[in-house]
Amino acid sequence: MDIELSSEDLAFRDEVKAFFDENKMKDGEDYFSWRLGWFKKAREKGGWDVPKWPAKFGGPGWTPTQHYIWEQETARAAIPFDLPFGLGMLAPILMSYGSEEQQERFMPDIRDRKVNWCQGYSEPGAGSDLANLKTKAVLSEDGTYYTVNGSKMWTTLAHVADWIFCLTRTDDSGIKQQGITFLLFPMKQEGIEVKPIITLGGSHTVNTVHFTDVKVPVENRIGEEGKGWTYAKGLLEHERTGLAGLSRSLVEVEQLKDNARSVQRGNGTLMDDSSYKSKVAELEIDLMATEYTELRSLANAAAGEELGPESSILKLKGTEIKQKIQKLTVEASGIYSPAWGDGGVGYPFAKGGTGGYLNSRYFTIYGGASEVQKDVIAKKVLGLTKGSKK
Amino acid sequence: MNFELSEEQKMIQQSVERFVQENYDLPKRVKLSSQDPGYSKDYWNSMAELGWLGLPFTEEVGGFGGNQIDTLVIMEQFGKGLVLEPFLANIVLGGGAIQMGGSEELKNEMLSSLIEGSKQITLAYAEQQSRFDLEDVATSARKEGEKYIINGQKSMVLNAESADHLVVVTRTNGGQVDEEGITLFLVDSDSKGLERNNFPTVDGLRASEITFDNVEVNSERMIGDPDKGFSILRTITNNAILALCAEAVGAMEVLYKDTVEYTQQREQFDQPLSDFQVLQHRMVDMFMEYEQCKSLLFRATMETIQDPSMAQRTIHALKHLIGKSGIFVGENAVQLHGGMGVTEELRVGHFFKRLLVIDSQFGNADFHLDKFTKF
Repeated sequence: MDIELSSEDLAFRDEVKAFFDENKMKDGEDYFSWRLGWFKKAREKGGWDVPKWPAKFGGPGWTPTQHYIWEQETARAAIPFDLPFGLGMLAPILMSYGSEEQQERFMPDIRDRKVNWCQGYSEPGAGSDLANLKTKAVLSEDGTYYTVNGSKMWTTLAHVADWIFCLTRTDDSGIKQQGITFLLFPMKQEGIEVKPIITLGGSHTVNTVHFTDVKVPVENRIGEEGKGWTYAKGLLEHERTGLAGLSRSLVEVEQLKDNARSVQRGNGTLMDDSSYKSKVAELEIDLMATEYTELRSLANAAAGEELGPESSILKLKGTEIKQKIQKLTVEASGIYSPAWGDGGVGYPFAKGGTGGYLNSRYFTIYGGASEVQKDVIAKKVLGLTKGSKK
Repeated sequence: MNFELSEEQKMIQQSVERFVQENYDLPKRVKLSSQDPGYSKDYWNSMAELGWLGLPFTEEVGGFGGNQIDTLVIMEQFGKGLVLEPFLANIVLGGGAIQMGGSEELKNEMLSSLIEGSKQITLAYAEQQSRFDLEDVATSARKEGEKYIINGQKSMVLNAESADHLVVVTRTNGGQVDEEGITLFLVDSDSKGLERNNFPTVDGLRASEITFDNVEVNSERMIGDPDKGFSILRTITNNAILALCAEAVGAMEVLYKDTVEYTQQREQFDQPLSDFQVLQHRMVDMFMEYEQCKSLLFRATMETIQDPSMAQRTIHALKHLIGKSGIFVGENAVQLHGGMGVTEELRVGHFFKRLLVIDSQFGNADFHLDKFTKF
């Protein structure tokens, strides 16, 4: 057991900090040109533009500790989120299961942030039970293309996506995990209709997507027909870890405390209020423990162990923590928490706080609802399956 | 001990229930809420014609001499449809203040038009620094001859956009957090120097920030005695807590029932969600919270009717429990509806938002727990 950072790690941290510092957005600078320039410079550092990609595919090949440092400093420097769909979700599948042609065709544009991807997994009847999906893909008689019909739901940012990676059903004769095929196709084409879903926080991020006779060339299929579930499943575990978002939560808790300190209560502030203070403290304790659960999981990964059910613990605890931060922001807003719309009322931080809380209810639903994560732990870790009686 | 409603109360209950069923489906509510004035004037007039607006007022001013149980009956049914009409602001708060402390002239002038729905009155009490403390009043009223001059700011005033008059809580004496030295005035909302900044709230209702810049009010418009306004404020806000909690209980009933129904319909993993024991137990918890809230609501309401001075501790207990349980039931209704629960399309999210707002009004769960421990 040793938690001290090595001198190499410390040097790495300084290097990361310095990089973030040198490449801050300047006043008046255009966001997009700044961001693209940032990626270019990160690439020159040796694959820092794709931190999670392995060295073989142009990534930096960092140790788990380096990843951890990177995440922490990214949150501290408030580096904007990088959309995960192409970079973190599709790319690993291409690396493992895509053909060389597919890797060459899709990965450079993902890396250059040129193409926006969306993930076509969930459907009206396939939420927690994802394998229950029904979107049909039928292979043409000459075997050159598939015809896709059906609907996807909760498709994040489908309305701005150029391409979709999509789970489709090519065979429903076996168990439902079989007969699923993984297809890639452009979003801007005839036969694809995107409709917004407005969430409780009043925002448009997710959509329903309808496919009517969408033609997909067979060379856009990943791996074998009918094996798509296997390809997607490993990724879901990665997605869960990403959803925990602990390093961002650490920064948000500090912000939460600052906000509470700006709320005057008698001679003190809301942070002197014993019940509020206790709730923030409990949140911090939860976060401290979860941080180390993540580190232990990273260490296992470094030792070459497969990422397993601990990703479920991280998703569960991480999303609960994010929801608690939002809830405490609403509480800090006090009488002003109901204020809605564009005008700011009351405390500056109150604006958007309640919308954030309402949208945060989604955290324990997407990427596998909390109840499903607990099932995974019960079955895979505790061995509690039907018939496990001793 | 008798928890039965009287025949009259049962009739009111049925008539409000029918009104809500017939007029308050979700699309209708969303539409009304998004258009000015944020509710239906026709509905408001119907409520007046049906006598609901006069229920808690004395017969001398044209009311029906009802009590807090009558209000509970109405508000619980309103809660089942998230009714938008400003019953709480006008009848419980604005009208309640005048009924309790207004001069005969003021009562005659105001209450009959309030009861027939032609005039609207709300209460402006909270301020930025006050948070939930009723006695923390910085807005000042300075006596000048027969007039008072009001200066200051009021926050989150319910329904002020539609109000013809505001009951304004001012400081006429004492320190900023003294109960003594608070005076209530009825101020015309188009008074010179009074400015309203109106905005929607997350639950689809409306509120306003209001500034008073040398607003003049005649001393005849004082409600209650000078410096003695706190007890009126306390009484009407306690009544508002009872009314809001009744609304919350109605909303919680919808949420747990909708959740039970949805999980019986929605299939995942080749079975209805309702077959999963973990979800069954969660719904049992939701149902129990609802029942417990209803019990404490009855307790606080009946104790208030018996002796308001002895009911304060129970009112703190009630608002604490409603705040906590309302959010528990709301969060879990959303969770068990899955992604659909987080959308604007199903009504559960809208009920959840209302419960969230109710917790923030007249003191949240933490505030009332703290008050309770100090008894």
